[in-house]
Parts: sequence; structure tokens; C-alpha cells
Amino acid sequence: MNTFVRWLGYLFVIFIAAPLLVVVPMSFSTSSSLEFPPPGLSLQYYEKFFSDPAWLRPAWNSILIASATTILTMILVIPATFALVRHRFWGKGIANLMMMMPLAVPHIVMAVGYYSYFGELRLVHTHLGVILAHTCLSVPITFLVLSANLKGFDRTLEQAARSLGASPRRVFLHITLPILRPGLMISALFAFIQSFDETVVAIFISGRGAETLPRKMFDSIRQEADPVIAVVSTLLFVAVILGLLAPQIVKAVQSALGRSARNASE
Amino acid sequence: MSSYLQLSGINKTYGNFTALENVDLEVEKGEFVTFLGPSGSGKTTTLMLIAGFATPTRGTIDIEGASLAGLDPQDRNIGIVFQNYALFPHKTAAENVYFPLQMRDVKRLEGMRRADEMLDLVGLAGFSHRYPKELSGGQQQRVALARALVFEPDLLLLDEPLGALDKNLREQMQIEIKRIQKKLGVTTIFVTHDQTEAMSMSDRICVFSNGKIEQLGKPLDIYHRPKTKFVADFIGESNLIPARITDAANCKAQSNVLGDVTYGTQSGTELRDGQEVSLVIRPEHLKLSSKRLADRMSAGIEIETIVNYGDNALVIGTSESQQIRVRVPGADVVILNEGDKCFISWTQDDVFVVTD
Repeated sequence: MNTFVRWLGYLFVIFIAAPLLVVVPMSFSTSSSLEFPPPGLSLQYYEKFFSDPAWLRPAWNSILIASATTILTMILVIPATFALVRHRFWGKGIANLMMMMPLAVPHIVMAVGYYSYFGELRLVHTHLGVILAHTCLSVPITFLVLSANLKGFDRTLEQAARSLGASPRRVFLHITLPILRPGLMISALFAFIQSFDETVVAIFISGRGAETLPRKMFDSIRQEADPVIAVVSTLLFVAVILGLLAPQIVKAVQSALGRSARNASE
Repeated sequence: MSSYLQLSGINKTYGNFTALENVDLEVEKGEFVTFLGPSGSGKTTTLMLIAGFATPTRGTIDIEGASLAGLDPQDRNIGIVFQNYALFPHKTAAENVYFPLQMRDVKRLEGMRRADEMLDLVGLAGFSHRYPKELSGGQQQRVALARALVFEPDLLLLDEPLGALDKNLREQMQIEIKRIQKKLGVTTIFVTHDQTEAMSMSDRICVFSNGKIEQLGKPLDIYHRPKTKFVADFIGESNLIPARITDAANCKAQSNVLGDVTYGTQSGTELRDGQEVSLVIRPEHLKLSSKRLADRMSAGIEIETIVNYGDNALVIGTSESQQIRVRVPGADVVILNEGDKCFISWTQDDVFVVTD
């Protein structure tokens, strides 16, 4: 490869990774404020994070909200995707557009909308409010991933299963669902990450009652520039990386197990 | 007459498009019938109607006198091998074959044993634990066949199953499918657009064109006695030469290219004097010679192209701007040159008449 292009590539990687290169070292700092480079190394802020309810409560909130968002999103998106990918009906174009809308509208606009509307419904500062809002935001990306998977699904497999004696319900359970499983896992993962990372809407409506981790970080940096923020950032980063790598890890483990099972049987 | 599978007056329309028109067909138990035709001729549509993936607009389908109408595909007990095999990628070969038994509530231990037996029968012993993507095209084909047969279906449908295989493998699978079909005695319908496949495998061939059955008969009957221009053209190579009937009672016709011709008697259609028809002569029935032969009818042509295939050669000549194709044995071709003038000759039995 051309040397120039190669260096351009390195430069790009550094540019993308730069924030991490700053944040990760700061999380191991001894300094009493956010400071780069760190004057000394310690685990004191990790200790603080894992012992302070003011941080653990938002962390728990985030996990709870992201999990509920994921479940609700999947319940809505799976049937919607089958309908939109496999069937033709009146208003399909509009329905498609509506599904993708949250991707186009700025989060701040959505947030203002939720703030005033959920206020009337008394959903502001509640877990349910944040879950509902996050579900709306997770729908487009989940739908995109799942519909790409479903479009690539060979429907003669379903015909074959029917001809072999399976009712439509059993076809879905024995054939369609297992084959789509990787796509379902990935889209669920995206829904989870989307909710876990979401900040703008959370700042507007999560309040004290349902405060999420990104919101707590935002408050914290405005008030005190607490280095625990760097710890949380690092942990969030590690969690997301693990989440994204999960399918590969699972696959590697499965194929290793499958190989040893086959070796054993031969 | 008690036929095993009976299609009566089948019509299928999609909006304004007529996919099938008045299809009648009777298949005997254990018979191997091929649906042959170009794409869009209605052969696959007919197969889908039998399988239950589509409903005929009019007409009935019966197996052993019992109507299939209203039966869902899963209740028809019909095995299908699809063009792309449609093996379940998340199941091993044995699990694929076990699937129809599983759907019939056969216990796993018993079902997997029967799946292994069936894989043995199709020549795949020892491949039970492979996933479809770890198998070659021919092996996948055998798994698909085993899966379609393991539950002892009333009928086996094969939808262009050999299309994706290379030539040698295809011939091997033709023989293999025939062997298994005979051994199990299962009534089989085979869909293809490949006429050599149809000729070599079938008990009877059903030629489809434009949503209708053009001709139904034994392979050699169809080859030697095509009823229509379409069949003559589609099955094997043919010279189709326009002609006019001059004396129907004595089998005489007249053509610009061949002159006065006496044609062989032929089945079915009534011919009348003055009718415009096509004369069909197979390229392998024509003889090339440098002089007119006394005991044969003949006509002069000029050789335009010679295509050598080793064991035989195709000589393409023209007469009155009509192309004539002649098959000659490979050894005879060395004395011929492009541009030579010579004679083609034939006997009465080599010529048959088809109408449009």
C-alpha cells in the first residue's frame, strides 16, 4: 500500500480514538479533578464509583431502562418488520417513513416534545416515561437491522418446512426464528446500547426519580468535574465493546465446542 | 379409469394473466412424469398448485380419488425437492432429514435412526453430522432428496433440482434419482426445461407451453411423433420447413425448399388440401451425398458452416435461403468443405407434418 495512504489511515485511527486515549488514563488518576495527563495512578475513583449510591443508583436505572426498552422495542419491531418486509398494504410507504422518523428528527426536538407531553401524562421523572421515549428512539435502528436480515431470508425454506409437515406456527418456531436469531440478537443489542447511551432526552425527562448514567455524568461535570466521570466513561466504553464483540465471542466458543464434539464422535 | 394423481380442468389466473389453461393430467401410481417446458410455460405453477402453495382458479386435483382442495401444504403428505435444495442451514444433514418425522411426532431416537437409514440410501452414509454449508452441491441435493422421501410421501415433486450442478454431476444425479425412485416406487413429478434430462429419466413427458399441455406421451413418442411445431422445435433438434398440403389422402405436400414431398403418416390432426403446415425432419435423419440417390427423396443445398464435435459434426447448409441442419458421423465430415454444393436426402418415414 502507498505509504501516504497508510499514514493517513493511522492518523485517522488516532483522531477517532483520541477521546478514549485521554479519558481512560484519567480514570486511573490520583488528581482531585479531571486532569490530563494524570499526575499519578490509582484505583481510588473506581473504588468511589462502586461504593457511592449516588453513582450506583443511576447505573442501575440505566440497566433497568435499557433492558425494558430493548424488550419493548423488540415486541413492537419484530411484527412491524415482518409486516413491512413481507406484505403489501395500503399506507405501507407512510408506515415505513414513520418508523424511520426518529432518526431524522433531532433528539432535542423529540426531548422538548416528550417533556411537555409526558408532563401532562405525569410521566416525566418516571422510569416508564424514559422507557417509552427510548423505545421510540430505538425503533429505527432496530428496524433497519432486522429488515435487512429478513429481506435476505430465503422464503423457500419456509415453503420446504410447510411441505415437510410443519404448520405456520411450527415453521416460525423451528425455522424462521432460529435462522433469524443472530439478526435478532444484534438488533436487540443496538436497542440496548441506544438507550444506555442516550443523553439528551434523559436530561429532559429522567429527573431525579429515574436518573440515568449519562444524565448523572452530565450533572456531575457541570457541578464538580469529578474524575469518577472518567471511570464511568471507561466502564461504558468497555461494556459497549464487549456487547459488540459478543456475537464473535459466542461464535468462536461455539465452533470450538462443535469441533471438539465432532472430534470426540469420530 | 382409476389414475393415482388426477388434475382436471385446472385454470390459474393472476389478474389478467392466465398462467394455466385447462390442464388435464392423469398419473399412474409409481410413474415418473416430467413437466418439460421453457420458463413461464406453467410447469412450475402446476407443481405449486399440486404442492398447495397456490390455489387453482378452477379445476380439481385428486390423489387416489380424494380431493386436495382445502388441504394446507403441511397436510398433503407431498415431498418436494426445491431448485436451491432449501436445506435448513441451522440443522445438520441428519436433523434436516429428521425434520419431517419430528413434525409427525416421531421420537428423536427413532427419527434420527430412520434419517440415517435414508441418508445411507441416497449414498451419504457418514455425513449425518455435517451442516449444509459443509456439503458440496451434489451432497446437498442428496440430503434434500432424503428429506423429501423419509416420511414416505404419497407424491414426490422435484423442481428443477439439477439446474445448479455441473454437467458430469448432473448425469450422475439423473441416474441416482432414477435408481432411488424405482427402489421406493414413489410416484414422481419432475420439472425441468432440459430436454435431455426429460428424455433420459421419464416414463412420460408432459410438454408445457404458454400455460397449456402441448403434448403428453412417452419420451420416444414425443421425439419421433411431435404433434405441434412447438414440440418439434423444443424437443431435440429439428428442421422446420414451411410447406402446403397438396394431396392429404396420399400424404403429398409441396415446399419451396424441398420440392414435392411424401410425408409419413402421422397421429392426430386432420389435414386438408391446401393447408399451410411445417415439415419436420431431424438433422440425424438427413443424409448428405454428392449425387441424387435413386431410392430417396432429395434436394440440393450449399454448405455454409461445419461445426465439428468429434464423434459427429453439424453441417449447416442453405437452400432457397432456408437453413438446413444435418448431423453427419465424425468420420464422414473430412471430405466436406464450406461452400460445397451437394444433396440432402430422406425417406418418407423421416418426414412428419406439424401444424401451428
